[in-house]
Amino acid sequence: MSVARPVLEVDDLDVQMGGRTVLRGVRLDVPERGVTAIVGPSGAGKSTLLRALNRLLDLEPAAAVRGRVAFRGEDIYANGVDPDRLRERIGMVFQRPVTFPTTVRRNVLFGWRGDGTADEVLERALESAALLDEVHDRLDEPARNLSVGQQQRLSLARALAVEPEVLLLDEPTSALDSASENAVEAALSRLANERALILVTHSHSQVERLGARALRLVDGQLVDEGPTAGS
Amino acid sequence: MTGAGATAGRNLPGRTGARRRTARWIELACCGAAGLALLVLVLLIGAVLWKGAGAVRPAFLWQPSTDAGVGGGVRYQLVGTVWMTACAAALVVPLALAVALVATQFAGQRLASLARSGLQLLNAVPSILFGLFGFVVFVHGLGWGKSWLTGSVLLAWMILPTVSVTLSEAMEAVPREVTDAARALGLSRGRCAWQVVVPHSLHGLWRGLLLGVARAAGETAPLLFTAVVFSGATVPNGIRNEPVLALPYHVFVLSQDSYDPAAETAAWGAALALLGVVLLMLTLALPLRRRAFEEARG
Repeated sequence: MSVARPVLEVDDLDVQMGGRTVLRGVRLDVPERGVTAIVGPSGAGKSTLLRALNRLLDLEPAAAVRGRVAFRGEDIYANGVDPDRLRERIGMVFQRPVTFPTTVRRNVLFGWRGDGTADEVLERALESAALLDEVHDRLDEPARNLSVGQQQRLSLARALAVEPEVLLLDEPTSALDSASENAVEAALSRLANERALILVTHSHSQVERLGARALRLVDGQLVDEGPTAGS
Repeated sequence: MTGAGATAGRNLPGRTGARRRTARWIELACCGAAGLALLVLVLLIGAVLWKGAGAVRPAFLWQPSTDAGVGGGVRYQLVGTVWMTACAAALVVPLALAVALVATQFAGQRLASLARSGLQLLNAVPSILFGLFGFVVFVHGLGWGKSWLTGSVLLAWMILPTVSVTLSEAMEAVPREVTDAARALGLSRGRCAWQVVVPHSLHGLWRGLLLGVARAAGETAPLLFTAVVFSGATVPNGIRNEPVLALPYHVFVLSQDSYDPAAETAAWGAALALLGVVLLMLTLALPLRRRAFEEARG
């Protein structure tokens, strides 16, 4: 029986921010599908780890990265890798919803440059983010008119429209009410069947609800806590 | 209880009271300074309204001037001022966008700092030097002669620091999370700058244009020997050797004849028209700036 290769392999990853060590010798294998949750106290470096996985840390002049992060077997920090193309394949959703000052439709299609027609991509992304029913007649309204929970799902839909193979989620429900949190979690559960999700969260109950494999980040190092009851 | 904590606790009410009094004085001083600035503005507008109202008749704005500027109206002075100011605004927008994008998005710290210092220096250049420069380079060097185009280029150059600095400030104020969200979608630095940073900072462009255009409309020195004449010009009909009339220059020349009461009245009337042009431009542009700001807030 062959074992599928992890989509992401992190080996001995060190990250320093302005000379201060944030991550030390991080090792992590992320399977092709399912939710990998990273928990830990505030300031432990969870968000820094996510940003190292899609090279968003490149935008921090003070950040220094050492070690190896392989995406489908190829080192993402090797010379010649285009970080912009990489980020299309490893998408990210942030803690607070971000809307661009334009319509719902244009927000969803903001980063899309791929195949298919815009309407198909729009519908599929909104459906995947559990938002289509709520905004199908508001596509040409300004995105700022949506509720905070809807805006966060819009951020998710925008990330999905680019068709990423891995999705990084930085506490995506921490700013939401429970109804919006449930809606986002339902969307994530479905997405986990088709791609790899890496979720940073403070909520152990959320880890359990999503049946995620949990890893604890302590003193800049990852400790595998294994699968949760729900998996 | 003894020790530093007890001493600090005992002194706290007195120190708090002194701080409150100091804060109150600072607050009063700030209000006084702001009030003084407003008072000067009110007095200035009041004086122009008071003295200029006598000259302004219904036809004043659309009649050409006669009798060496003492009679008639300010039709072509209005045309020249609005035309040159509008052209300066159109010229400065792409320049300011380029400068602000380089200074905030593309340049390293050293080049950005150099660009800022250069803009501050440009802002400090006396306006008459712009006139001399324009006279040597455009009027003679490029052979444009006395022309509205020379005037527009010089005015655009003069207001470039104001527009690009306010635009740069707006670009720097774009929340990091917004640009991060765009870059995380795979947008390149250039695409992010154009599709995210620029739309988020348009209110800064409008604010800079408001300040810059208000200044440009009232400039006289750079136009004296490069773009304007006192009489004989109407609507521009070309580029080279096409001087225009302008309100500030009209006021300047008539004021030199202030021993003639009719000339003085005409000068105040032209000043009132100039003030009206500036206020009208501000009134038209303010809603656009407000709308851009609301849209940028998302």
